Amino acid sequence: MFLQLLFNGISLGAVYALIAVGFAIVFSVLKFSNFAHGGMISICAYIGFFFQKTVKPTPPIWVTILFTSLCGIVMSLFLDRIVYASIRRNKSPKNYYFLSSLTISIIITAILNVFFSKNPLAYPMLFSSTTFNVGNIRISRMDTMILIVSVVLLVLLIFLIDKTKVGLAMRAVSIDPETSKLMGINSNFIILMTFSLAGILAGVSGVLLGCKYGVFPDLGQSMMIKGFIASVIGGLGSLGGAIAAAFLLGIIEMFWTYVMGSLSTPVMTFVVMLLFLFIRPQGISGRFAKEKV
Amino acid sequence: MKKLLTCLLVLVLAFSLFASGAEEKSNDGPIKIGSIMDLTGGASNMGRPHSWGVEYAIKKVNEAGGINGRQIELYTQDCKNDITEGLNAYHKLVDEIGVCAIIGPALSNPASAWVDLSAEDKIPIVGHFMDEVCTTNPDTGAVYPYMFLAEPSCSVQSYDMAAYALAELGLKKYAVLYNPSNAFAKAHAEPFIAYVKENGGEVTAVETMGWADRDYSAQAIKITNSGAEAVFLCDYLAQNLISYDALRDAGFKGAILGANTLAPPLADQVKNDVYDVYFLQNYDMLNPNVGIINELVFSEMAATGTESPQCNVGFAWDAVQVLVEAMKKAKDPTDGEEVAKLLEQTTGVLLSSGDTISIDPATHRPNNMGMYIATYDENHNMVICGREDIY
Repeated sequence: MFLQLLFNGISLGAVYALIAVGFAIVFSVLKFSNFAHGGMISICAYIGFFFQKTVKPTPPIWVTILFTSLCGIVMSLFLDRIVYASIRRNKSPKNYYFLSSLTISIIITAILNVFFSKNPLAYPMLFSSTTFNVGNIRISRMDTMILIVSVVLLVLLIFLIDKTKVGLAMRAVSIDPETSKLMGINSNFIILMTFSLAGILAGVSGVLLGCKYGVFPDLGQSMMIKGFIASVIGGLGSLGGAIAAAFLLGIIEMFWTYVMGSLSTPVMTFVVMLLFLFIRPQGISGRFAKEKV
Repeated sequence: MKKLLTCLLVLVLAFSLFASGAEEKSNDGPIKIGSIMDLTGGASNMGRPHSWGVEYAIKKVNEAGGINGRQIELYTQDCKNDITEGLNAYHKLVDEIGVCAIIGPALSNPASAWVDLSAEDKIPIVGHFMDEVCTTNPDTGAVYPYMFLAEPSCSVQSYDMAAYALAELGLKKYAVLYNPSNAFAKAHAEPFIAYVKENGGEVTAVETMGWADRDYSAQAIKITNSGAEAVFLCDYLAQNLISYDALRDAGFKGAILGANTLAPPLADQVKNDVYDVYFLQNYDMLNPNVGIINELVFSEMAATGTESPQCNVGFAWDAVQVLVEAMKKAKDPTDGEEVAKLLEQTTGVLLSSGDTISIDPATHRPNNMGMYIATYDENHNMVICGREDIY
């Protein structure tokens, strides 16, 4: 039983990690909580669904993920161009970013509601059998796929940020964009790069969440809250912290729901977040971000 | 001069008030009826066919001569399965448009907010809001004078499902997984649990989820370990899809029982094999030999492109028939008080199922309607497998 719940918790944590990282990566560079990421996930889930439904023969899931990731990049850059770029240009307060992203997210959900209503849509079945056994543990194939894709993606992302020049530039811009510019870093390019990465994560998350939970307008938005909590617990802007917190949150949530029931679970997660903000505001990662909510 | 102007103003106001009153009380003009449905909210997969059904039924009534020669004008509002939106829709219809009666949705959350308003405004509302709190006061048992239900209530439906599972399926151990914040689910789950306990069954687990929850695997594992032979699901389609897959993924091999929200397209949308699923149905809607329900659902599918048959088309037809029959008997069909009195005496009104409905004046709910029990065959087609007649 313990191992079963642990595995399910890790799987749930992988879902949260994907969302939290998409959230954290924008925060790390631009220092604002990009709530529009949830809306982007929902749009990508719909794009993936219609891609799978309309293209004949039905493309493999990895092709769909690739396609939605590309769409995610385009939409993310478009969003930056029409909303965030002008805020940057005008050197407007950070609050403008936050309010804009929240508004965009609400608009996206509302538009999806108008066109598709809240009725869930289901991706075609990916597996003929949904689970397999390892000893006494029943393992969901879908969960396993999400776990593997998430881990691979997160490892690649951490490698990109920690071991490449682009990653170094991203870290430099995240610390001080003006000084970075003086040192020859094209900070605008780095910001576009950051949004592109967030777009890829939205594309991947959209398809995977759509496959697991079905597609509906507030799919991304509803999961975004957990991503945000993980991001805060991990230390806003810290990718490693967000990933660790997401897995921790998934595991705690699974055990808490099993023992205490689901109704108190949201209370527990918010209490954990508040405790972190009071006791250890720098989060698990230990990296302090002044702009914490 | 000022006095003259004041007198003229008073005269104009008095005349306009008289004129508008005369128009409302006109005995030969069209009759304004409202329809409040979930067109874009969480239950719009049911609300849209429901709304289509109301329009279709009204069209047929008008083609047949209307209500004692008077045509019906239908005004539809979207309540988005939300209490506030439902109140806005009600006020728009009653205060701005001036409807004299309303066909309500198959949703208890918004409908429960109209119980007092409808009494104040004397607006009869006939609908499929199955939670009994929409028709009778849960504390006093007193009936809400203008609220009328045109199908068995949630409690009756849950009793029917439990009775079928106990007697026909021979199951003894049950679990329930539901969202207590959903009035529809709560109104099903509690009577189901009560009936099972009172009739020799055992409830091994009662697990819950919230609106924002997306992962029910912890609940599913707990239910599976509880030794339940069947699980009762009574939320909307979105939650039922996740519940079904979570339970099967957790290794639950028993029967899945449920409300009419387990009906198609559930079988085509879940990821696990579909077996041992039993759910409530108001109609034998795929049978062309009973009533006109089959004709209705397939007309709606052809007209709107809906991919699976929706019983809400029949709900709409039935509610319109109940209201129209009462209005036809009224001296003034726009007099809400008179129509409400006549609705209380409803008996023998022919429904789309081919059966008739009688309304109990003490509850404003039907007192002669049972429920079908349906299942899925290996091709995911819905098949009627039983009927229970607990009123």
